[in-house]
Amino acid sequence: MIVCVAIVGHQVGNLANNPLYIQSFTDGDDALKLHHVVHCSLDVVDERVNNPKKSGPMLNETYLGLLYPTENYKVYGYLTNTKVKFISVTTDLDVKDADVRNFFRKFHAAYVDAVSNPFHVPGKKITSKTFAERISTIVKAFGLSSAG
Amino acid sequence: MEEYPEELRTPPVALVSLVGCPEHHQAISGYLHSQQPPINVLALPDFSKVPVVLSKKVKDSGSGDPPSGILKRDWLLKHRTKVPALMAALFSSLDISGDPTQWLQVCSDLENLKAAIRPRNVKLVLVVVLQSTSADDINEDRMIALKKRAEVDSKYLLMYTPNDVSELKLSLNRLGNAFSELASVHYREEGRRIRTKVEKRGYNFPELHMRYCFKVAIYAEFRRDWNEALKFYEEAYRILREIVGTSTRLPPIQRLVEIKSVAEQLQFKISTLLLHGGKVMEAVQWFCQYNVAYKRLVGAPQVPYLHWEWMSRQFLVFAELLETSSATMQSISSLVVGGTDRTLTEWEFRPAYYYQLAANYLKKKQSSLEISLSMTDNSSEADSSIDSVVPSIYVGQFARSLGQGDELFMHPLTDEQYVQYTLAERKRFQDSYEIIALLKKAYESYSSLKAQRMSSTCGLKIAKEYFSLDDYANTKQLCDGIITLYRQEGWVALIWEVLGYLKECSRKLGAVKSFIEYSLEMAALPVHPDTNITFLGFVESGPTGPPSLQQREHIQKEVMELIGKDSGDGLSVEKSTDLRLSEKNPLNLEIDFVSPLRTVLLASVAFHEQMIKPGVSTLITLSLLSQLPLSIEIDQIDLQFNQSHCNFSITNKEKYASTTMFSSVEQSQRMEIASSLILTTNRWLRLTYEIKSEQSGKLECVLIIVKLGPHFSIICRAESPASMADLPLWKFEDRAETFPTKDPALALTGQKGTQIEEPEPLVDLALGATGPALVGESFMVPVTVMAKGHDVYSGELKINLVDVRGGGLFSPRETEASFLDGHHVELLSIAGAEWEDKSQGSDSNINRIQQSFGLISVPTVKNGETWSCELEIKWHRPKPIMLFVSLGYFSQESDPTSQKINIHKSLQIEGKIAVMINHRIMLPFRQDPLLLSMVKPPEADQLVSLPLGESNVLIVSARNCTEVPIRVESLSIETDSSSPSTSCCIKPGSGPGSPGFTLLVAEEEFKKIFTVKAEVDSTPLSLGIVCLRWRRDPGSHDPSTRTIVTTKHKLPDVNVEVPPLIVSLVCPPYAVLGDPFTYFVKIQNQTPLLQELKVSLSDSQSFLMSGTHSGTVFVLPKSEHIMSYKVIPLSSGTQQLPKYSFTSTRYSAGFQPSVAASTIFVFPSEPRFKGVNDRGKNLESVATI
Repeated sequence: MIVCVAIVGHQVGNLANNPLYIQSFTDGDDALKLHHVVHCSLDVVDERVNNPKKSGPMLNETYLGLLYPTENYKVYGYLTNTKVKFISVTTDLDVKDADVRNFFRKFHAAYVDAVSNPFHVPGKKITSKTFAERISTIVKAFGLSSAG
Repeated sequence: MEEYPEELRTPPVALVSLVGCPEHHQAISGYLHSQQPPINVLALPDFSKVPVVLSKKVKDSGSGDPPSGILKRDWLLKHRTKVPALMAALFSSLDISGDPTQWLQVCSDLENLKAAIRPRNVKLVLVVVLQSTSADDINEDRMIALKKRAEVDSKYLLMYTPNDVSELKLSLNRLGNAFSELASVHYREEGRRIRTKVEKRGYNFPELHMRYCFKVAIYAEFRRDWNEALKFYEEAYRILREIVGTSTRLPPIQRLVEIKSVAEQLQFKISTLLLHGGKVMEAVQWFCQYNVAYKRLVGAPQVPYLHWEWMSRQFLVFAELLETSSATMQSISSLVVGGTDRTLTEWEFRPAYYYQLAANYLKKKQSSLEISLSMTDNSSEADSSIDSVVPSIYVGQFARSLGQGDELFMHPLTDEQYVQYTLAERKRFQDSYEIIALLKKAYESYSSLKAQRMSSTCGLKIAKEYFSLDDYANTKQLCDGIITLYRQEGWVALIWEVLGYLKECSRKLGAVKSFIEYSLEMAALPVHPDTNITFLGFVESGPTGPPSLQQREHIQKEVMELIGKDSGDGLSVEKSTDLRLSEKNPLNLEIDFVSPLRTVLLASVAFHEQMIKPGVSTLITLSLLSQLPLSIEIDQIDLQFNQSHCNFSITNKEKYASTTMFSSVEQSQRMEIASSLILTTNRWLRLTYEIKSEQSGKLECVLIIVKLGPHFSIICRAESPASMADLPLWKFEDRAETFPTKDPALALTGQKGTQIEEPEPLVDLALGATGPALVGESFMVPVTVMAKGHDVYSGELKINLVDVRGGGLFSPRETEASFLDGHHVELLSIAGAEWEDKSQGSDSNINRIQQSFGLISVPTVKNGETWSCELEIKWHRPKPIMLFVSLGYFSQESDPTSQKINIHKSLQIEGKIAVMINHRIMLPFRQDPLLLSMVKPPEADQLVSLPLGESNVLIVSARNCTEVPIRVESLSIETDSSSPSTSCCIKPGSGPGSPGFTLLVAEEEFKKIFTVKAEVDSTPLSLGIVCLRWRRDPGSHDPSTRTIVTTKHKLPDVNVEVPPLIVSLVCPPYAVLGDPFTYFVKIQNQTPLLQELKVSLSDSQSFLMSGTHSGTVFVLPKSEHIMSYKVIPLSSGTQQLPKYSFTSTRYSAGFQPSVAASTIFVFPSEPRFKGVNDRGKNLESVATI
């Protein structure tokens, strides 16, 4: 089950790795903890980006794979060509890579649609309600697919 | 890792025992220790101790009872310190070879020893200590008997020679080899023995199976057979997993504790072996599986803390193992890259990751322990019964030791007792410090890896621990470090959390300023009302609670109350703390361009004009913006400028009455009253006022001081709207952004400063030079200062000469410009016309003139008066220059505040060469000396040759190159001082030497003729220098105002030669048509030799001629030869005489007169001149030219 998804802006000048969208899907009390988890995962993203794999197929890969496991979560990352980072935190122990990849693809598409809104100012938080609904649908769909 | 016993932590070392001859034990054990691998030594002084050491309890194995534990606690220790692999019996050679009693003693010792070691399968080595150097005195029979008696192979009967150094070394070496060989044999046999038990399933219980596997592995480790050790440890681990569900031996809680303890030992062994074998990847994967397998085994609900403590220890131990082996490890990145599957990530190879998790589990343990403790308040009464609880003989088991006399009985515990015991035990420890230590390790490790977010998270956790320990100073210090990153990256929720801690720490520490700062920053954080829902789940969100609009408002109210802006409405923070603001303790909060508090108050100041005239008022707009959730009412705003007299204050209308009571100093300042000064969230408060300044220069708003309440003010740096940075954090928010000023253009271009122009100078500065300057003359430039509206006080005139083309006024080629310090143009002097005498006294301090720069003081010039001076500038080279003259003055006398007024003028002046002097040397007409140097082909730098003793003509001409008329005063030739004066005679020709001056207009030429007669045959001969004295034509002025300039021109040197032959042509000045005349050719031989000349004459159509046409003539030495021809002109006009030519055979030089020389004018008839005298004069002049 995905407990948190986040979009983190790219680092340009003084515009830092600020969260553009962060949403947790737990009833529990760990929303703040998830903020920390997502924030920490940026270190891994940096490390991956700075030490890219030499092998060919990974060259143009946007999916970063498992970033790191914590006590209870696993953090997956995705990096767009414009260096916007997508992070998702799951509680599942065994997740198929293809499922996560597929999830991120949908997530990316939703993001592209959201920022294509002429009223959206690039670099600002995404506040669109439609986007939020769409994301929660995708997250639910992921839960169903991985459970099934 | 330290809590593990030594024998578990280090790889096993073989143990041998020495018995007998105790004096040699130290040397032998010292040697064995230093061996690789080392061998531990158990030294027994005499044979009686052996049975004590090797005594073996009688086991009742094979009975149906299950074993009461899995691993015995001291089994490993026993094999490392008590049970040797071999027994080395040392016998002295004297005893062996001695009398029968000694020999019998040896035999009985040996027998006893054999009996003692047999049950444990300990190997035996016999060492004979040679007491003397010679081996001969050993009884061979006794030796053989000894070997037989001991039943040892002959290679294990060793000689030990302690007395000889070289022998000692050899014998020690022998001992070492034999010992290690035999020890290895012993451990192999022991291992095999137990392995056969495993293979034959010679056990009834899985516990025994596991124990055997463990033992096999340990024996393998003794042999350094790591692979077998690993195999059996893994096997043991596997069996243990099976036990988990099945064993019912102990009460459930204790059973799980035992299993976990054993698992811990096994995992430690396996991880160590894997890591030491360099299999980092396998080790990490192994640990992962281990973690997954045991993570869920929380156990009974009464004792979750035991599980978390155990988990924490697993991570800590693995972290330490990883850290110690990381030195030898290959680089992490290559490991990750090399990995085929992506199941492991970067951090899982870092000790920091495990330290962090260890800390997390310990934290969990801490909290669950607290819950458990709170549930069992009545633990005190049970204390007495658990006092005697000690670890039992099995790993992971505890028991009560009941002392009865000397004997101790181990009594098993019930689970309730065990829980009480653990609770009492855990209560004694402060886990927080342990957590902090773990987190610090992770923090440092992440920091060194440059994983700053990870390290920040660890740092925050440390801070939380410190906070829980009431160590607020440490908490604050850590949080201050962490928050910078969060602010930079704009993680609002994280900032909120950290700020919450900082705020509470400040409150606890009584730091009012930081408390207010953090509170205001929190209140101004972009937490939106609609994002509330997201944060509903915050529990651990710091001491301030979850971020929400209500919380922000609450925090702001708290601060407002503290600063006295808000009467307390029940919140009353300061009552609970000692935070106070008072008259003695006022608070100023500073906000600069990078402060995070810019969200609290942003002050922008824009001047409506970028440049204003002094004394003219302009508008200034002050805009304030706040993101605080509640609106604030400002009491007073002070604006401070760099020109302090412009400062002014804006006061709230209602507060005005009270503020007027402030000190009288403020009364002198300008005070504006605004109807309301209420700052609402995200709305600019715009205030526009007039401002003017008399003082020129920059006028800039520096500080905005906003006063809130009686003792609190915020000092804001003024920001220009044009260059204002975005608000931190809020820039990511989707909010309505407005301009700080009403005029959007001003918002984009407005500056917090404006430029005030200088006052207009009411003085004229005139430079009155006309026309070009001439090289050599002193060019006067009149400078006039005319006061037209201002009086001029302490004026200063600066003069600068600048090369128009750049490159300076002096030539870099020093050879050319070696004279006059290389300046091509120089300022000679400044002649002040009037007031010169007066100014002598007062302004003598400033009167400096350099070659291209001058500074003079100007006396006081009253309004309407004029002052002038003249600059004298001299050109040495033709060069255009730019003359800059600037006058700086004060318009008022003795007023230090008044400003200096400057006026600048410039003028470009061309420097030109006035006259060009040319010269020409001619020989006398129709007289041609044969100059031998001319015969040869001319060379490049050949000098002009002059015949010796002949009168030559020198024509000097001076041409005016400028458009300025000049007067030539005189033209003369001066002899060069360097050459002898008698070498030649130069006389002015008899031309029209005018007595006065000659006026030369543009392009006009002045000529003068000289006669030059070389008198000495010296080569080269200097002719002298032409000196032309001239002055600029003064026109109608007095000529004395113009100085006379002397222009010099050096004539080139000439060659003087004695011509061997001179040919002269003599003919009348003119001819008349049909009138015959004679024309002579005179050849003069100046040599003492006979000269032979070939003469030829060509006919001319215009003349009828008589005489020889060709022939050879001989001219005697020092004599003349004259040839005469009679000719009759046949046509009138300018006609060519018949041309003759000579060839001197001696010099093989030809000669032909020039066309001009052989031309004559033929009148058609006898000309009639006015008078005989005139005629003669005219003809003469024609001839001389």
